[in-house]
Amino acid sequence: MLKTQTPSRPDALTWVFLGLGLLLLPLGLYLALAAPPDVNQGYLVRIMYLHVPTAWVGYLAFFVTFLYSLLYLFRQDPRHDRVALASAEIGLVFMGLALVTGMLWARPTWGVYWTWEPRLTTTAILFAVYLGYFLLRGAIEDPELRRKAAAAVGVLGFLNVPISYMSVKWWRSLHQTQSIDLTTGRIHMDPAMLQALLFNLLVFTLLYLGFTRFRAMVAALEEAKEEA
Amino acid sequence: MLLRLEAVSKRFGQDWVFRDLSLSLKRGEVVALLGPNGSGKTTLLRLMAGLLKPTRGRVVRQGRALFLPNPPAFHRRLTAREHLLFDLGFHGVAGDWEAALTRFALPPDLPLAAFSSGMKKRLALARLLLLRPDLWLLDEPETALDQEGRKLLLEVLEEARRDAGVVLATHDRALAEAVADRAVGLGAA
Amino acid sequence: MRRVWLLALRDLRLEVRDRAGVLSVLAFFGVMLFVMALALGPEEAPLRRAAPGVLWVALAFMSTLLATRAFALEVEENTLDDLLLTPGGKEWVYLGKLLFQLLLLLPLSALALLLSAGLFYLPLARAPALLLTLALGVLGYASVATFYAGLLARLRGREVLLPLLLFSLVVPVVLASVRATVGLAEGLPLEEVAPWWQLLLVFDLVYITASALLFPLVLEG
Repeated sequence: MLKTQTPSRPDALTWVFLGLGLLLLPLGLYLALAAPPDVNQGYLVRIMYLHVPTAWVGYLAFFVTFLYSLLYLFRQDPRHDRVALASAEIGLVFMGLALVTGMLWARPTWGVYWTWEPRLTTTAILFAVYLGYFLLRGAIEDPELRRKAAAAVGVLGFLNVPISYMSVKWWRSLHQTQSIDLTTGRIHMDPAMLQALLFNLLVFTLLYLGFTRFRAMVAALEEAKEEA
Repeated sequence: MLLRLEAVSKRFGQDWVFRDLSLSLKRGEVVALLGPNGSGKTTLLRLMAGLLKPTRGRVVRQGRALFLPNPPAFHRRLTAREHLLFDLGFHGVAGDWEAALTRFALPPDLPLAAFSSGMKKRLALARLLLLRPDLWLLDEPETALDQEGRKLLLEVLEEARRDAGVVLATHDRALAEAVADRAVGLGAA
Repeated sequence: MRRVWLLALRDLRLEVRDRAGVLSVLAFFGVMLFVMALALGPEEAPLRRAAPGVLWVALAFMSTLLATRAFALEVEENTLDDLLLTPGGKEWVYLGKLLFQLLLLLPLSALALLLSAGLFYLPLARAPALLLTLALGVLGYASVATFYAGLLARLRGREVLLPLLLFSLVVPVVLASVRATVGLAEGLPLEEVAPWWQLLLVFDLVYITASALLFPLVLEG
């Protein structure tokens, strides 16, 4: 769904993802604002409709970077590298948004902008890893070496997620219980809230797909220009 | 067929070093690469060795290739004996390093930092002879060698062509004419 | 396997003949601990509290310095090509460089432990357990540092990029090692320290395996 050919303008699928995403974004916002307030958190809960989808997209994006980096290392096809790059860039932006919304939520809830909570800390570490990814890309002139080195960081960086998470979790713990517990499948949430959250997850995923395809196309154009 | 280049092109940044170069080499053949400084001889040798990838085209290689850079690269703090022993170990080859050092008139226990550039060149030839690659890629092997050294080089090349192929980049036309079966000219870009 | 040992021994021999390199790494470590002790001291309690953290951050710096040296040996002399032209897979180059670093890092970090015991009042009563923590943690640092040092070997500006890439990846090692060291210093029973060792072991295994597999793909032309 992400690998584009090398056209000079975005193809139909890219427009579909982007168009649907942008079109549905206001609807998602409406659902988020219309959802009932939380028993404990009141209206503050609404930041969740932004926080959870951005964090989801961030992790999804880095996972995609991991996959395409592996593909690049084994196949050496520059197209895979471009998807990895595009996905990492979009991921970094959304991860940044997730960190900011998390801090905005933490301030009135816990009284501080930053706490050393496992998921928050893991996210921050991951953010630093991918910041390194882009600094590394910027530092290498030879395109072949740049792609390989970036791919290695993309792979090793993502392997770090579970280990970092476990280490920080043991190190210290306090966070909102997960809204949707993936390990047990239990959902602690009002149906209206859940509906709004899932809808926003869908919208952000569409936006992610569109942005990444678009960015990969721009990367292809950049490379074509570099080679010409 | 030991080595085949199929329409190989290489570019660094914006500049093409060479374009659409095709070439093949059999066992027992010696090919000389001729061309002025900056014409891409070293780049071509490194491509043949597999140390660089072509921007376009294909390099097909069979057997083990070794590349002798100019000037030759050694660890200064090792002695000639140590260097050869470690190299034999890394390549998993058995060889009589003692005889090689005697033949090339090299002191076994002197750190290489004390070697002259001619001695280093001799050591590089001794090393290649011990490691017995299938494909010898030599970058200006004649430089820094004295009369005696040059004679050794000619001997080594004769021995190499018995069961291997040789590509040598050189500015020395007399050498190329003496040993090479063919010459490939590379023009400046 | 034989090649791994051979490469480690050769590099060790080169490093010992050079001496200046290892000595400056050790001197750097000493000065760093000294300045940190001045900044945090002179009362005993805060120094004792800070000791594990300071020790492990300083060790992280030490391992980046050594990892850079492991490949600088080859790049300065232009001999990296020779290693890449050896027959067969190139995993052994990574493993050999890693072994070389461990052979240097382990004694150096034991010295570092003594230094922090002296300057920061870190109790050494449970030396075997401390040494185990040291070995597992240092292996974690070195596994990633060696890989990145090889990757960046030919780049200018690698001295800045290496710590940047390394430190974000080794956060789990820092946390686990510091916690284990704190636990040992405070006299916790070994069962409570053991989970941290497990975590370190998992990190070491994952990163050594992944690095050894990726190294040939990244380094070959």
